[in-house]
Amino acid sequence: MESTTAIKVSGLGKKYTIGKQKDASLRSTLTNVFKSAAAKGDDFWAVQNVDFEIKRGDVVGIIGKNGAGKSTLLKLLSQITKPTTGRIEINGRVASLLEVGTGFHPELTGRENIYLNGTILGMSRKEVKEKFNDIVEFSGVAKFIDTPVKHYSSGMYVRLAFSVAAHLEPEILIIDEVLAVGDAEFQKKCIGKMSDVAAEGRTVIFVSHNIAAIKELCTKGIVMNKGEILFSGNQLEAIEFYHELGRNVNSDEIVLANDKIEILSFNVNPVEGSFISISSGFSFELEFRHLLENKNLAVTFELSSKDEIVLFHHGEWICNEKDSQKGIYKMRGEVPKNILNAGHYFFKIIIASSLHEVLLTIDSIGRFEVTNEALAGNNTILPGLIRPNLKYEFNFTKE
Amino acid sequence: MSKTTIIDAKHRQLFPNFSEIRRFKDLFLTLAWRDFRVRYAQTTIGFLWAFIQPIVTLVILTLVFGRFAKVDTGSIPHALFTTCGLITWTYFAFVMTHSGKSIIESQGMIKKIYFPRLIIPLSKAVVGLIDVSVTVLILIVLMFYYGITPEATAWLAPIFLIIGMIAALGVGIWLSALTIRFRDFQHIIPLMVQLGMFITPVAYPAGTAVKELPQWAESLYYLNPMAGVVQGFRWSLFGGDPPGNMMYISFAMIIVIFVTSLMYFKRVEDEIADFV
Repeated sequence: MESTTAIKVSGLGKKYTIGKQKDASLRSTLTNVFKSAAAKGDDFWAVQNVDFEIKRGDVVGIIGKNGAGKSTLLKLLSQITKPTTGRIEINGRVASLLEVGTGFHPELTGRENIYLNGTILGMSRKEVKEKFNDIVEFSGVAKFIDTPVKHYSSGMYVRLAFSVAAHLEPEILIIDEVLAVGDAEFQKKCIGKMSDVAAEGRTVIFVSHNIAAIKELCTKGIVMNKGEILFSGNQLEAIEFYHELGRNVNSDEIVLANDKIEILSFNVNPVEGSFISISSGFSFELEFRHLLENKNLAVTFELSSKDEIVLFHHGEWICNEKDSQKGIYKMRGEVPKNILNAGHYFFKIIIASSLHEVLLTIDSIGRFEVTNEALAGNNTILPGLIRPNLKYEFNFTKE
Repeated sequence: MSKTTIIDAKHRQLFPNFSEIRRFKDLFLTLAWRDFRVRYAQTTIGFLWAFIQPIVTLVILTLVFGRFAKVDTGSIPHALFTTCGLITWTYFAFVMTHSGKSIIESQGMIKKIYFPRLIIPLSKAVVGLIDVSVTVLILIVLMFYYGITPEATAWLAPIFLIIGMIAALGVGIWLSALTIRFRDFQHIIPLMVQLGMFITPVAYPAGTAVKELPQWAESLYYLNPMAGVVQGFRWSLFGGDPPGNMMYISFAMIIVIFVTSLMYFKRVEDEIADFV
């Protein structure tokens, strides 16, 4: 009986024991989750109770915030690490691309690295040989094929690496975020190649922050949060669900209060459109109950990137001693569009009555993501924390 | 559908999956080839280093043991005697050192792609064969120089060499797996190589050492897996001390080390990506 199931996952879970990992990079990727998990105990479930089934020919996008367990799930599916619980059944030859250029050695030439990388990705030497010319042509670095790759520019390096990967012919392809490399033109080429793969009826599993790419390429979507699957179904509904999740998660998580101030809610919302992107702008809204009378009241907002780089620290006096009263205060601020670059951010809120008297501090609240998907204009990923639209003046003097 | 893979958290195997390793044969060869290609990259004299290393070791050992300490090697010239010992010992030391740190060195790959992890230490065993051939070449040159022909038992030499390879692999696989959990082994391995050379009859006949030891210490001496291999390999070529019953202690050790190394490796294999 020929089965139509490509991948079937049941009861899948992966537990990490905190403090056992010696590797700094793994630790840093888990840091965000550590903060909340550390209080609960030593075990941390990166993926938990995951069940799903993928049919042959499905192109599935997995979305979720950083630390949602997407990468761990891919590692489990590609057999890099073994699950703590559950079972995975895979029908067909799998190739997983969690990075481009795995195993590339700088001292070896482009030609040698094609063989090396190809066999690492699961091709036989014979297969690599047959596809060698196509790979070189696709990469566009034919001229330098016998030069050690350490002399390549990073763009050439990535193009060669992706070309090898693009010529894999697996029945199931697992891809993590690899499209986030290279220039805009090359990304377009990569997306084109991926749609070809999908069009050939292969199964593709794709993790990305690039919502636009998921919308375009995928037929199914899975939304993950805190190691669990919250939604699984049509990709457009999945994207909608993900944005909805991003809006609600702020206020649900944190209820903070002391005997002076009680935070009722804090929300970050797009000003235009349905989700926060570079060109949507966003507003933040704080609601709190003041429990004291006759106190000055000032609220300061500090916005930081996820690497804890402070972007601004800005506050406002709400009222002075005389008219301060018990009751509910609401305040709203707005950050215009084209200021923040794509990335993850959070707020710190300080409510004080003077420079020396802090009533309540909340170190981290309202985590949100600015997505790269622009409402208008180009959506290339660029470095930097801010992304203003600058005006230029030109001047030319002929010599 | 051609191939079904089942990953089950509850399912644990005792030994690595050898048929799977065979499927990754090309990767295994490519990795060995890469190591060889990269080894002398950017050096001025390149492959010549493969000759200089054993020759320098040989000269020093011959000076210290042959000239200064006047170790009696019977009818065989000391230089020849030592070269013979170096063939198996150097291979063992190479595989031990390189397999030991191999998994850590390949962590970039291990975290990003699946393949049977055992391939990594195994591929180092292939690279080490290059050094063996170089030392064999030096041995042949010395045999011509001294005008000495091998004994009729020389056909046994490859068998001792294979036993030596199994010993090297066993220790190498153990060390590669241990180094993942305990980085301390990165510092222990060079010590093992340094001391191992002296407790192995490379530059002196095993008889000389054993003669000075009490009976109980003799079996202890042969717990060193390479003691029997180095001695047996030399005996098969040039005679001298015939390998006694004690040699079987070495061989038994080799089997124990090799089998347990596979079992231990399998046990840590699934978690390697979480540890490195």
